[in-house]
Amino acid sequence: MSGNQDMKSVIAILILYFVSSLTFARAGQELPAWDETNEAREYYLGGGLWPSGLLPSASQAATQSPATAEGQSQPVEDEKFVMGPPDPATLAKMVADAGSDAGNKKFYGPADAGTLAGGDMADASLQRVRENPDGTYTVPEEVVDEQAYEPLPPLEGELAKLYFSQAPTELLIDPQHLLTEQKSNDIMRFLEFQAEESKIRIYVMVIGENQKLPEGVDLHALHQKWFDDSPVVLMLYYRERPEMTELVFNDSIRNSLPETVFERIRQTTLRQGSVTDLAPDQVEKMTIELSIQLYWMGRLMEQEKETGKGIASTGKASEMAPSSDAPEFLREYAPGIFLDESGKVFSIILTGIFILGGLAALGCIGWILMWWRTREGLSGEPLLFPEFRIDRRLGGEFCGGSFVSMSFDMNESL
Amino acid sequence: MKCPRCHRPVDHEAASCYSCGYSESDSAALFGGNQVVLPRVHDAAGCLRKRDRDNLAETLNLLEVKFPQILFCAYLGTIPDRFSLSELGFWLLNHGQVKGAQYVRPNENGVLVIMDLNRKQIGVSLGYFAEILLSEEDVYGALVAARPNLLNSEYGEAIEQIFLKLGKALERQGKKLRKLTHEQIREYREGNVPPLLDIPSDKGGPRLLPPPEDSPGYESLLSA
Repeated sequence: MSGNQDMKSVIAILILYFVSSLTFARAGQELPAWDETNEAREYYLGGGLWPSGLLPSASQAATQSPATAEGQSQPVEDEKFVMGPPDPATLAKMVADAGSDAGNKKFYGPADAGTLAGGDMADASLQRVRENPDGTYTVPEEVVDEQAYEPLPPLEGELAKLYFSQAPTELLIDPQHLLTEQKSNDIMRFLEFQAEESKIRIYVMVIGENQKLPEGVDLHALHQKWFDDSPVVLMLYYRERPEMTELVFNDSIRNSLPETVFERIRQTTLRQGSVTDLAPDQVEKMTIELSIQLYWMGRLMEQEKETGKGIASTGKASEMAPSSDAPEFLREYAPGIFLDESGKVFSIILTGIFILGGLAALGCIGWILMWWRTREGLSGEPLLFPEFRIDRRLGGEFCGGSFVSMSFDMNESL
Repeated sequence: MKCPRCHRPVDHEAASCYSCGYSESDSAALFGGNQVVLPRVHDAAGCLRKRDRDNLAETLNLLEVKFPQILFCAYLGTIPDRFSLSELGFWLLNHGQVKGAQYVRPNENGVLVIMDLNRKQIGVSLGYFAEILLSEEDVYGALVAARPNLLNSEYGEAIEQIFLKLGKALERQGKKLRKLTHEQIREYREGNVPPLLDIPSDKGGPRLLPPPEDSPGYESLLSA
């Protein structure tokens, strides 16, 4: 019997195997096939984020890749295998190429690109602690760049023409792109807005900190030539040197107000520029401050035109409406445009008195209402009721039994 | 209107209660058929101090000036359990006579406060005229207002409070009646009764009637 049962078990297993084989064969699933070795693609480490200019050539890749050297796999020509940091020589070449391709376009940022192009940076990056023959070590001195920006060429030739050859068409004159693009756009938009709102326009000219105006270029003459008598202020800004900033006004404007007014405007503007270190922020702050000062100066000039006399001499500026944002430099000449602090204090005290008085009045009213509600006294004239006909009940001569009662026992409710 | 005994509703001009047959004669049989003279505040229980009595008298004087037609009086006692507070009020207003107010303020204008210290109950009985002026809500509100004083055994202050509250209710009612037209008031008038204020006040002092001897209930009530 046991032999028969073993036989049946073996037959059942075989049947199950064949049935399952037939089922999988009919399903026809497409399983992924492995790529052939010679058709396999290569993948860049780092997700292909390296610029193509930094990728080594095919021959370098062939020499660097041990697998290639051994001839086990041949990479496709247009796709390169990259491993490790970019080659310093390639990086230096790219920087040099970028510098030459840009033409007039300059980079705003850590400079010394000249030395970079020469490969010094690559050498510097390779500098390491060296071991001397006597067993000591030499640590290479770190070179600190004192110059934050790349040296700019002098303002001459084509560059000078960009600045001074013709009247500017834009309010921000920065052909060297010394300011960042975003800040330049912001300042430009602000200057345009200011030109629409104010009668005195502002032109900002940006040059390098080491650049000098070409010989024969006079800003006052240039201002007169470009803008004639239209109210314009030309601000010449040296990159990150706000203390060297120059403001050029029209002669008509200059003659209308004392010189000290313009000096104070300049000082206030320069003070705003000294708040920050970065050139774009300095230009932005100085421009905003200058616009505020010009607004008030414009109001002073209008007032002067109406009176026909010098404001500083007549003191008529005090008739202008006081304002909370009046610039401090006008306090000497137009004290009337500043809000009277004593009046402010008086108004605060008056407001406080009103508030306290109101609260006291409310309290009195509330107290009177409470007293009126809770008062028990009866005052006034005697009150007489009309007489009524009364029906008698239950035989009572005076009372019919009307009665209302209440219990005041502690143990009982009402 | 409710019966003083069974507290069922009673119609106008009903000679006796339809439910229990109670009438004034039953009251007289229980408490006595004679007239009794009482002060404005009869403290049979002896629960008022002199200061309470003085204050209460001052308040009642004020109320009498303000409401010359209304009789304000109070009865404070320890009433036996067999006597109902409402029946006693019914009897007192029909058989009692407050000293000095016999003619100026008849009992039908009476507002009688009754307090029973035995059962810790207090109530207000109203004469015919007073019950027209004061609603049950007004009276009950006055009693509730005095409950804190009653719980603290400040009976003088409690009764004073009740009278003042009732005075306020009367004042409100008087202002309402003032707004009625003469024609409306005339509808309520009856006959040619002379104005009450024309009656001269009793300046001869209180007249004490002899106490009845055939009324056990009366004796027990006046035994202070």
